[in-house]
Amino acid sequence: MSGLLPLTGRELKKWYRNMVFFITGLLQPIFWIALFGSAFDIAKFLPHSALENTFGTTSYITFIIGGVLTSTSLFTALFSGTSIIFDRRLGNMARFLVSPIHRSSIVFAKVLSTTVRILVQAVILIGVAFIIPNGLILSNGISLLGIFIITAALIMVAFSFSSIFSIIAIRLKRQETIFGIINLINLPLLFASYALFPPSFMPAWLRNVAAYNPVSWSSQAIRNVILNGTLTGSVLNSTLEYMLYLLLLTIFMLVLVYFVSEKEIRD
Amino acid sequence: MHKDEYVIETDKLAKTYPGGIKAVKGIDMKIQRGQIYGFLGPNGAGKTTTIKMLSTSIKPTSGTARVMGYDISKDSMKVRKVIGVVPQDLTTDEDLKGIENMELVGRFYDIPPRESRKKAEELLDLVDLTEFGNKYVSTYSGGMRKRLELIVGLIHNPKVLFLDEPTLGLDVQTRTKMWEYIRKVKEEFGMTIVLTSHYLEEVDELADIISIIDHGQIVVTGTPEELKNSLQGDIIEATFSDSMQSKKFGEYSKSVDVTYPKENVVRMKVKDSDMEVPHIMKYMSDNNLSPIRFSISKPSLDQVFLDYTGREIREEEAGDTRKAQMNMRRLRK
Ligand SMILES: Nc1ncnc2c1ncn2[C@@H]1O[C@H](COP(=O)(O)OP(=O)(O)OP(=O)(O)O)[C@@H](O)[C@H]1O
Ligand SMILES: [Mg+2]
Repeated sequence: MSGLLPLTGRELKKWYRNMVFFITGLLQPIFWIALFGSAFDIAKFLPHSALENTFGTTSYITFIIGGVLTSTSLFTALFSGTSIIFDRRLGNMARFLVSPIHRSSIVFAKVLSTTVRILVQAVILIGVAFIIPNGLILSNGISLLGIFIITAALIMVAFSFSSIFSIIAIRLKRQETIFGIINLINLPLLFASYALFPPSFMPAWLRNVAAYNPVSWSSQAIRNVILNGTLTGSVLNSTLEYMLYLLLLTIFMLVLVYFVSEKEIRD
Repeated sequence: MHKDEYVIETDKLAKTYPGGIKAVKGIDMKIQRGQIYGFLGPNGAGKTTTIKMLSTSIKPTSGTARVMGYDISKDSMKVRKVIGVVPQDLTTDEDLKGIENMELVGRFYDIPPRESRKKAEELLDLVDLTEFGNKYVSTYSGGMRKRLELIVGLIHNPKVLFLDEPTLGLDVQTRTKMWEYIRKVKEEFGMTIVLTSHYLEEVDELADIISIIDHGQIVVTGTPEELKNSLQGDIIEATFSDSMQSKKFGEYSKSVDVTYPKENVVRMKVKDSDMEVPHIMKYMSDNNLSPIRFSISKPSLDQVFLDYTGREIREEEAGDTRKAQMNMRRLRK
């Protein structure tokens, strides 16, 4: 896939060189975890036994870290789409289109570089979650498989969401349009999911909707690892099920990006 | 590719944009190796659309074209490998340095980094940008950016170079300098160049062959000389001190148009002044005519344009200035 590496390199170079952008990108997950952790700290209102029953932990941050990691990915993935529009508006796209590279590599470079950024954010976010008061506790430890699941889930979420936003942007000329679409879908995606609250907190209809939401799949998979340490039995099965859904979604999105971008991308 | 084949050959190449705008309505042209081929036409004539089709960034609605023997629709990847393109709008990345832009494009062509850097330095030198290679493009002036655009399209030694309005929005001096660079490129690399412009002086100055394009169609093609000659009218004007002489001069030949724009001034429209003037000289000396002023003017491309499109290219100028300003704003941003 010619063009993929140089274009991904370009994206990352532009990212770390733009200090303000770089730092705000890293601060965002820190704010998330700090604000969610304290503002929604349900541990203050509920007795410990109730917390253990519904959340599986007495630390809310431990409960939502999977959700925060996932939603940070969701919000960062949006840059894939906006930067395609910027490339078009600033004329860079015209250069790519007359160069002997696959058109899909233009889009895959966005997806890939966004995934790298999301992973860097994730590492920082987990680090911060550990050090803040009443933060992340791995009371049951963590296994190699667990680390693999967290990483794989985040990569798949990053790939899928960046792909979705890239496809939306593939013919768009105006940033406003994509921001409009994003405002429309991001918050529903976040709140109609298991990212912030367990399924048992939700009315039945919402719970059913959330079951089909990729944000739920990734949040739950990561949560299962964080809360249980080693996965066994039904928890292992449900985790693997979520991972399978994510994998199918990722493959579907990658194929879709390939065909749509080879055919439809314009300057 | 055989020697006698054309570098570019199109067959009824046409593009209708969504919304039904017929931007290009069936263009046939043949471009020979080593030529600078000038596309002259007013705003909206279809120049950019034609270049975009030939450089494979958009697909034609109908018709075909071959570039270096490769079909633009079926073999677009092969076409892209052998062409260099300098689009009308700027394409370099402001967040990268000049040389980084060139190296990035070099990697698109799988040029080894070391080779690519060497070539980039050579090209920066060619357009006098050596000291700015390591500066961010966002700090360049408009003229510098246009020069960088030119050489970015050359990093891979293309066989054919498309230049879409390479001097749009530049001041007169910078434009002249740009012409110099374009000529250097042609001489040093022996490229075939397709150039679009709506500046008459520009194509007159640079092009070996010109096609005038208007409303999506080629109205006429030829060398600048041929086009001017095709108007069949060099103007010879002679001023005499008295009406006797001017009258006698006016009787020179029945087969030329004679007018008398002022008293004692005779204007003749002759087919080819180079052939006619010796006869005129002889006639004057035979008849003892001695003009106090004698001038020969060949028609300019301005007249050619007027003749073939029915309007002056200057009429477009109002819109052109606005566009140039917009372009400069973009250049600065
Ligand atoms: N993407 C597009 N969608 C719809 N119409 C277009 C598009 N691009 C160009 N056109 C129309 O096609 C016609 C030809 O445009 P084109 O850009 O090829 O002209 P041009 O000769 O390059 O003009 P200029 O000197 O202004 O650059 C114009 O009427 C223009 O409005
Ligand atoms: Mg144009």
